[in-house]
Amino acid sequence: MQWLMALEIDDDPISSCRLMNTFRRKGITIVTLSMAARPAGFSLIALVETPEAEVEHIFNLLRRTEGVYNVTYYRHEPAGDASFVFIDADANSSSVARFLQAFPESKLIFASQGKYLLEIPADRRPRATVPGIGEPEYLPFARVKTSVAHPALASKQAI
Amino acid sequence: MPKLFTGAEILLESLRREKVEVFFGLPGGSVLPLYDALYSSGLRHLLVRHEQAAAFAADGYARASGKPGVCLATSGPGATNLTTGLTSAAMDSIPVVALTGQVAAGVIGKDAFQEADTIGISLPFTKRSFLARSVDALPRVIHEAFKTAVSGRPGPVLVDLPKSVLMEKAEPAYPDSPGTDQRAKVREWRDEDMARAAAMILESRRAVLYAGGGVIASEAWRELLELAELACVPVTTTLMGLGAFPSAHPLSLGMLGMHGSYATNQAICHCDLLVAIGARFDDRVTGRISGFAPEAKKIHIDIDPAEISKNVRVDVALVGDAREALQALLAELKRQTRQGRVPAHSGRQQWLQRIESWRAEHPLTYDKYGHSVKPQYVIETLSHYAAEDAICAVDVGQHQMWTAQYWSFNRPRTWLCSSGLGSMGYGFPAAMGAQMAFPDRQVLAIVGDGGFQMTLNELATVAQYRVPVKIAIINNHALGMVRQWQEIFFEKRYCDTDLSFAPDFAKLAESYGIRGVRVDHRTDVVDAVRDFLSDREPRLIDFWVDPAENVYPIVPPGASLGEAVVEPPRVLVEEEEALDDLWAV
Repeated sequence: MQWLMALEIDDDPISSCRLMNTFRRKGITIVTLSMAARPAGFSLIALVETPEAEVEHIFNLLRRTEGVYNVTYYRHEPAGDASFVFIDADANSSSVARFLQAFPESKLIFASQGKYLLEIPADRRPRATVPGIGEPEYLPFARVKTSVAHPALASKQAI
Repeated sequence: MPKLFTGAEILLESLRREKVEVFFGLPGGSVLPLYDALYSSGLRHLLVRHEQAAAFAADGYARASGKPGVCLATSGPGATNLTTGLTSAAMDSIPVVALTGQVAAGVIGKDAFQEADTIGISLPFTKRSFLARSVDALPRVIHEAFKTAVSGRPGPVLVDLPKSVLMEKAEPAYPDSPGTDQRAKVREWRDEDMARAAAMILESRRAVLYAGGGVIASEAWRELLELAELACVPVTTTLMGLGAFPSAHPLSLGMLGMHGSYATNQAICHCDLLVAIGARFDDRVTGRISGFAPEAKKIHIDIDPAEISKNVRVDVALVGDAREALQALLAELKRQTRQGRVPAHSGRQQWLQRIESWRAEHPLTYDKYGHSVKPQYVIETLSHYAAEDAICAVDVGQHQMWTAQYWSFNRPRTWLCSSGLGSMGYGFPAAMGAQMAFPDRQVLAIVGDGGFQMTLNELATVAQYRVPVKIAIINNHALGMVRQWQEIFFEKRYCDTDLSFAPDFAKLAESYGIRGVRVDHRTDVVDAVRDFLSDREPRLIDFWVDPAENVYPIVPPGASLGEAVVEPPRVLVEEEEALDDLWAV
């Protein structure tokens, strides 16, 4: 099953190495992965495949990993009630433009290296009525969980 | 003009501010500036003979004292030699701070002499790894390292120290208080979940408390005892949890799992509620998952959210410090009891009687009257004559399981065992570390002849510093547990488990200036043990035990706890085939 993992991590390269190692050890298949530099660290978004029974454990493991500020995970939701869309615009650079034309009030959550995550406003018309939105470069997701600031991880400023 | 200090001096002062009393290490090129500063620092350092022992000693110090243990190694091979010890600490959630030398900052990545990617190597088994990038950062790095080691789920932290950073000078700015005083709390449970957990306990008739190392890490043993007595619920502990509940208590079930007693494992099989506290449903505990506590609803209290439903799905999860969670659970139980006017312990006598009948049916036992020295008898005798607050460290294998079964555990933090990683060679150096934490207490290293041969070089360390560790070798001239599995599960095809080619351990000890004796008659055991424990000197006894003795009960691989083989098979030849079928699972 496909999931989207979005993480905010500190700017220490060790933290991103630790994350990649966790993905490897837990047998998570990475379909696409993008990172973007932020003032206080990196944003990372990964489209992954892992069994549903494992994902909660992985979320909890990631959110308590040193160097990780925040984790959110999204479930692939082809049923139509998705509120997020992940766009892989590598193949077709007009994908994002077309989407924003249909949903001009969409909120950009992540953008890097041709990968975009957008939140569709709740009061917008159903996705299904937008021509072309069912194409493979548009992957609909629903947010499952986002981590709250973990007290044990309160002081993670880079040293 | 401000006074400037070298990085090495700042590091040692930072350790002092973290209340470090002693640390364990071995010098080398990249940490020479540190050892130069140590020369006049007044800090206590134990020179080990191999860095692995430094990591195990730091681990033993931490388990016995509850404070972070500290080990030190030089760059390259020194650092890589720490890895087994740090992995063991990670598996068992033990706070250890490892300091490793590194080549000068300017040559990192150039494959300099004794350069290793220590940070890269350490990623899987540390909570966090720091590279000290500048001398100015050192006080903050050390503060964060100690804070991280003890916060949340404890564990090892590594600080890599380039030689240039140790030699640079700066005016240090130390944090106001030690990092260990600023451990972050974890409390994620919802009040409604706590209320539900309390109600489940009150409604259950066949409950079991299953306590792990988290009870000891959070110092929740008083709350565990109060909960058990208030609700009249029996308590089983994991290998890590031994000592969290007194084994002489009427509600004690001892250890569960692969080598748990018949009664304990039957209780798990038939309970209607299992309350896991600071335990992680390890495969050696559960056996076949589908057969683990199949009739029970499950409550899981753990500080680490990643442990919830990792191996076993639970009905109620309470994420937080075990002690605080148990305090809240006790308060809620008392509140609900007052409201319902039903005593929390009512209706459980029948359950306790049933457990007692299982205990009577298959008690832990061995042949006590033969001529040979039975290892279980040695353990029982050591336990009987050891001081009440004695600390017991073990290696891994048969002797470890016999000690878990036959030692009387009356206090927490008296049992040191590489439980998750199962590292041979752990017991002796861990005992050394514990002895440094408590110089006046009796500390025993109960080891196998296989494991002892991995760390016997540390005889030099205990002899040099007169560390009064008592070393009891349970010598069956074999890698006993592996031999046992070859006997039972591999048709007695004994391959490379014979260790009969070995030194005379008593004479070897004597060569280091340590009194050593060999005991190979049952009737000599008591006198030898009494003499062994009578002084404050390092001592060694080499017990030549019955090499055919095996650990029972045993849950065969792939079987459930209910399918344990409870005693040595006394079978006719024609029955062997059927038994082989059972063990072939």
